[in-house]
Amino acid sequence: MNPDGGVQLGGVTVRYGRRTALEGVHGSFAPGSLTAVVGANGAGKSTLLMAVAGTVRLAHGAVACPARAQRRLAFLPQLAAIDRSFPLTVAELVALGGWREFGAFRAPSPALRARAEEAAVTVGLAERLRRRVSELSEGEFRRALFARLILQDAAVILLDEPFAAVDTATTVALLDQLMQWHEEGRTVIAVLHDLAMVRTHFPETLVLARRCLAWGATEAALPAMAA
Amino acid sequence: MTAAHSLLVAPFETLGFMRSALVACLALALANGAVGTLLLLRRMSLDGDVLGHAVMPGAAVGYLYAGPSPTWLTLGGLASGLAVAALAGAITRRGARDDAALVAFYLVALSLGVLLVAWRGSNVDLVRVLFGTVLAIDRQALWQIAAASSVILLAVAALYRPLAVEAFDPAFLRAVGARAGYRAVFSMLVVLALVASFQAFGTLLAVGPMLLPAAAARCWSLGAAASIALATAFGLASSVCGLLISYHGNLPSGPAIVLSAGMLFGLSLLAAGAWRRLSPLFGSRP
Repeated sequence: MNPDGGVQLGGVTVRYGRRTALEGVHGSFAPGSLTAVVGANGAGKSTLLMAVAGTVRLAHGAVACPARAQRRLAFLPQLAAIDRSFPLTVAELVALGGWREFGAFRAPSPALRARAEEAAVTVGLAERLRRRVSELSEGEFRRALFARLILQDAAVILLDEPFAAVDTATTVALLDQLMQWHEEGRTVIAVLHDLAMVRTHFPETLVLARRCLAWGATEAALPAMAA
Repeated sequence: MTAAHSLLVAPFETLGFMRSALVACLALALANGAVGTLLLLRRMSLDGDVLGHAVMPGAAVGYLYAGPSPTWLTLGGLASGLAVAALAGAITRRGARDDAALVAFYLVALSLGVLLVAWRGSNVDLVRVLFGTVLAIDRQALWQIAAASSVILLAVAALYRPLAVEAFDPAFLRAVGARAGYRAVFSMLVVLALVASFQAFGTLLAVGPMLLPAAAARCWSLGAAASIALATAFGLASSVCGLLISYHGNLPSGPAIVLSAGMLFGLSLLAAGAWRRLSPLFGSRP
């Protein structure tokens, strides 16, 4: 679907003060690939996503991501980065996904609002549209964020621990959505902890421990995680 | 009727300085409702406090240079306020926000300002700079306040969406490619609002009419826009109430206004809490 969905990393190094979070990561995500990023805590997984999204300064190296320049990149950070007490309804949150259409200075159009409702229905939040995000459970909030991602219609989708603290039913529903994005030819990169899920659903895996330990087909790469 | 008239209307009818003070407070309430609510939503109330004090050294220099001239107070206050806003922004960008550094800024700025004023001025000058003189607002100051409030309202109206989204989910705003420095722009608006308030409320109280009505409005868990409207209404109410209290009780006006706003906050906390507990009984919420 998207010829520009590729992401190339050229020796990406990120430092926070004196601490090196990511060092010399080199490689590429093919357009339409579905990749799991795994590694211990502090291995630089979130930093890698931020580097691709362009929200962290690189000490060395470069990231080539045409989708980012075209604003066709979507990034779902860890929930801690989002202020859930903000007075916003689910419908408003999902409609933000159409930002590319309405931009900073205009309101979402009625057509866009209708699409937002559709997306909310897709993730099973039809009953919750008028609720405040502060009233949602953890799982419902994730669903709402996924609905926003649907609306963003991005070529490259970055997910940081999308299934953390989510019940099984929600995980199954969101994983379905993720597979659908893959079938639609979008590039999906997800930070995950559940290695069984990685094995069954993710064709590619990147194992990080500040450096890249392994990157490629999951069955070949994943053993590096144990080593 | 006449009792109510002499209690509520006569002070403004008979005294020009009360009218000036009222108009100034109303103009400030319009700007403060918007800026204060966004400040709370962005969890930057400490920054507001710091910037309020950051205005002090510059205003003090202006004061030393030209006496109590509104223009020089404003220019000096703007200069030092913006300088500290830039420094505070740099601190926040270096990773985790450092509250201790922000507090250090505010203590240093306040002390420096007090030293500067005390060096050349009298205790009266010092009290003026610290607590403001809302009853001594002249026409020139009024124009400046009105201009600043207009600029702030227009800017917030134009930038409302990105400012709100950045408070809610900053990574999303960056990912959709909005790379403008909204944080810096917002800090500038806060400094402008504080400088406008400085004449009326002084460096110690200027942040009060900004934060307290907004905090009171937030108790009612409305949407962001409705919260701004309610904060503005609370700001107007506390201004009128505070001015009347200060007139009838022969008390300083700035603190009376801030206290009124504080009382509104307390009442809102209690009333909203009671409402939350009682509303299930009336079945007004599923």
